[in-house]
Amino acid sequence: MPLNYSLTTTLKSRLVSDSDKPRWLGRAVICVVALVWFGLVGIGFSYLWNYENTPGIAAVAPRRWPAESHIQPARDRATLIMLAHPKCPCTRASIGELAAIMAHCQGRLNAYVLFMKPEGFTENWEKTDLWQSASQIPDVQVISDPSGEEARRFSAVTSGQTLLYDLKGELLFSGGITPSRGHSGDNAGKSAIVSIINREIPDTNVTNVFGCPLFDPNSECRVARK
Amino acid sequence: MKARLARATQLFDTHQFEICKRTDQMFAVLMGLQWVGGIVAAYLISPRAWIGITSRTHLHVWAAIFLGSAISALPIILAITQPGKPTTRHTIGIAQMLMGALLIHVTGGRIETHFHVFGSLAFLSFYRDWRVLVPATIVVAADHFLRGVFWPQSVYGVITASEWRWLEHTGWVLFEDTFLLIAIKRSVVEMWGIADRTAEVESLNQGLEDRVEQRTHQLAAANQNLQTEVLDRKAAEAELAKQRSFLRQVIDLNPNFIFAKDRDGRFTLVNQALADAFGTSVADLLGKTDNDLTPQTEEIDHFRNDDLEVFNTLREKFIPEETITNQQGEVLWLQTVKRPILSDDGTATQILGIATDITARKKTEEALSRSEEQLRQAQKMEAVGKLAGGVAHDFNNLLTAIIGHSEMCLRRLTHEDALYSHVEQIQKAGDRAAGLTRQLLAFSRKQILQPKVIDLNSIVGDLSLMLQRLIGEDIDLMMRLAPNVGKVKADPNQVEQVLMNLAVNARDAMPNGGKLTIETSNVYLSDEFAGDHVTVASGHYVMLAVSDSGVGMDAATKARIFEPFFTTKEVGKGTGLGLSTVYGIVKQSGGSIWVYSELGSGTTFKIYLPLVADQVEQVETRRQAILKGEGTILLVEDEDVVREMVAETLKDCGYMVLIAGNGPAALDLSDEFSGEIKLMLTDVVMPQMSGRQLTEKLSPKRPSMKVLYMSGYTDDAIVHHGVLEEGTAFIGKPFSPDALVLKIGELLGASQMA
Repeated sequence: MPLNYSLTTTLKSRLVSDSDKPRWLGRAVICVVALVWFGLVGIGFSYLWNYENTPGIAAVAPRRWPAESHIQPARDRATLIMLAHPKCPCTRASIGELAAIMAHCQGRLNAYVLFMKPEGFTENWEKTDLWQSASQIPDVQVISDPSGEEARRFSAVTSGQTLLYDLKGELLFSGGITPSRGHSGDNAGKSAIVSIINREIPDTNVTNVFGCPLFDPNSECRVARK
Repeated sequence: MKARLARATQLFDTHQFEICKRTDQMFAVLMGLQWVGGIVAAYLISPRAWIGITSRTHLHVWAAIFLGSAISALPIILAITQPGKPTTRHTIGIAQMLMGALLIHVTGGRIETHFHVFGSLAFLSFYRDWRVLVPATIVVAADHFLRGVFWPQSVYGVITASEWRWLEHTGWVLFEDTFLLIAIKRSVVEMWGIADRTAEVESLNQGLEDRVEQRTHQLAAANQNLQTEVLDRKAAEAELAKQRSFLRQVIDLNPNFIFAKDRDGRFTLVNQALADAFGTSVADLLGKTDNDLTPQTEEIDHFRNDDLEVFNTLREKFIPEETITNQQGEVLWLQTVKRPILSDDGTATQILGIATDITARKKTEEALSRSEEQLRQAQKMEAVGKLAGGVAHDFNNLLTAIIGHSEMCLRRLTHEDALYSHVEQIQKAGDRAAGLTRQLLAFSRKQILQPKVIDLNSIVGDLSLMLQRLIGEDIDLMMRLAPNVGKVKADPNQVEQVLMNLAVNARDAMPNGGKLTIETSNVYLSDEFAGDHVTVASGHYVMLAVSDSGVGMDAATKARIFEPFFTTKEVGKGTGLGLSTVYGIVKQSGGSIWVYSELGSGTTFKIYLPLVADQVEQVETRRQAILKGEGTILLVEDEDVVREMVAETLKDCGYMVLIAGNGPAALDLSDEFSGEIKLMLTDVVMPQMSGRQLTEKLSPKRPSMKVLYMSGYTDDAIVHHGVLEEGTAFIGKPFSPDALVLKIGELLGASQMA
């Protein structure tokens, strides 16, 4: 009897372990697959996040409104000038943030959006949906910037570069007005401009610019983060 | 209760599994669509990234394609391969949040795209499993936490944000989670309610099904019993029908008439025999009454009275004989018994009748009665004939002597002798007596016939003139002779005698004139006719009918018409032997005679003579010649008076006569006589030795000796039933001396001539 009982018990335990083996294996496979999946997705998101949060080259904007500029700053209010690439998708967020700024600073801010038009390109090449969006913003003048002459005068190299000058032509702010590349939403640039216009002390007057490069064909719209 | 709870749990689990399965499938589709949507959105919003005047595909497009596929692939595979499992829905929840993050990136962080997260949570609540919201919420929180740590501006729009800012975003998610959890809880409660009610309904249904099944079994058993009963009933009905058919056949095959009647006299049962007898069907007779069977009101009343008697007395009634006349006028004789059919209360509602058709028996009895009468008549006639024959035989011997001696006396006397006239009167009286004796012999069929094949038409034709003279001018003689009437074998002289006797009888029946018709034809007497007429055999006959339009006769007269000495004529006008002679001749000729007569309507005698196929023989004419003889004649006669008269006659004619009184004496005499004996004249009927035996003994010794038989009695060895053997010479008594001499002369002369 003891022998038989022992044998039966052993067989049962073996049977039980055999039946549990596939479940255990299945869970293990699920875990492995989940880890692989999370890894792939994490890598992907990390790359994406890194791309979006890598700013372009910021302009070294002139401290005073360039005299050679064909654009005249407003005499009764501050003047905001944004230099943009007409086909840069990242700039759509900047246009959107500009609209928000103009809404906040209604009647107290004059704005120009200059769309760079490379030389040799067809007429109206620069008049994209971004042009149309910008044109619809009150108190914003949209101007074509043939060959990026004005951008060069303001030392802008990244689309979405925004500069704010006061009544005297003094530089108040320089940077981007999006939190990341092509991403709309609250950001430091927008907050700074609104604060300046509201005669408040901004947290900063220089922010990163997120957008496509305006000129340098050998460089990306962004600068590798160091 | 435990079973119901277990069943409810099972139903709930099954329901939730099905919901999760459907939701997995929904998400499989949704994730595929949103993956495509992300690609499309990326392509539309940021198709290319520009660097000055050059461009390339934007990273968002690649991210939407590859990262989106990486996010969507695993949950879609799990939803397809393992739908309903917790792992699948948790993976879907995580993937859905990741997809929301990707779409937010692809769409440029639009605030509207953030609703994808909330919408996804709402979709995830479709699982009705709060646990699935946990990893999804954790992913959202982790996303904001990590980006807040590493890229705070990209999340919060400020460079330096609070380290707990991510909780604000997570809080909104949890806020929605709260509502979703409430909704999930309610849904679960409802699902539990549904499961519980379903389990209860199932329990009730199961009970109901058990009862239905039990009832179904009971019904099946009852149905089986019913089918068995139906089969038994059908079998019983079939057996009953079989018995009914058998009884019906028994009734119908019964040759008797079987019927049942109700109190109104309507037939409630009839058998086929009854229907056949009245030329109708069983169905037609049912409901009918005796009025529909017979037009005879007397019979109907009789039947009705018998029926009512049975109904009232409740006793059987036996009717030995009764008649019923059908619509065609045929009368059926029935022997009927009627019995009451008693009901439970002892009353009779119907009567049963069984009638035997005794018509055939009645007809047979009548025919038998007729036959018996005919037989009795025939026997009477036979007896009378024997009597007459016997008397005639003795008379013939006496008359032979009287006539012979008176003739011899007359030869020796002259007309002037005083005794001549007396002897002549004696001779005439003897001749008349001889005539009467011949008629008696004819009636008794003891006369000698010499039948020949004759043509009746020829006999009747030759006799017509004589008959016309016989019946007189007041009576028309009509002849209806069939042209091809057959031949018969009869004595032509006797046939003439028959015709004359019948003509005379007819004439006497028509004192005021009338019509006498003689008719001949070929007839075939059937077995039926032969059965109805005693002494007649069926076969082909020639009919000779003699009809008159006279006074006719009644049945009593008709019954005795052929008796000898019976006559309706005045005394002295008839001997009463005419029709007796006819009867005897016809009978002796193998025929039969029947009389049909109605008083006042005339009489018809029909004589049937057997048809023969032989040719007609010529009737010899008698040669009348008186011969004088010579030679020796041996006379053998036991009657003295005859022997003496014959011996004297022969001697007178010149013959030498050897006389012997019997056969042995004749033999002795022959032995003693050495001379030639030309002829032996011998009586036929003699004591010790008959004439035939004598001839047989003597002829070898004297082969040239002729033999002439004489007899007054015909039924002997020489004459069989009145018919003479071929080649035998015979002379019947009484005969005259002249006739004897003539006969002997014929024999010897013929011999001499030969």
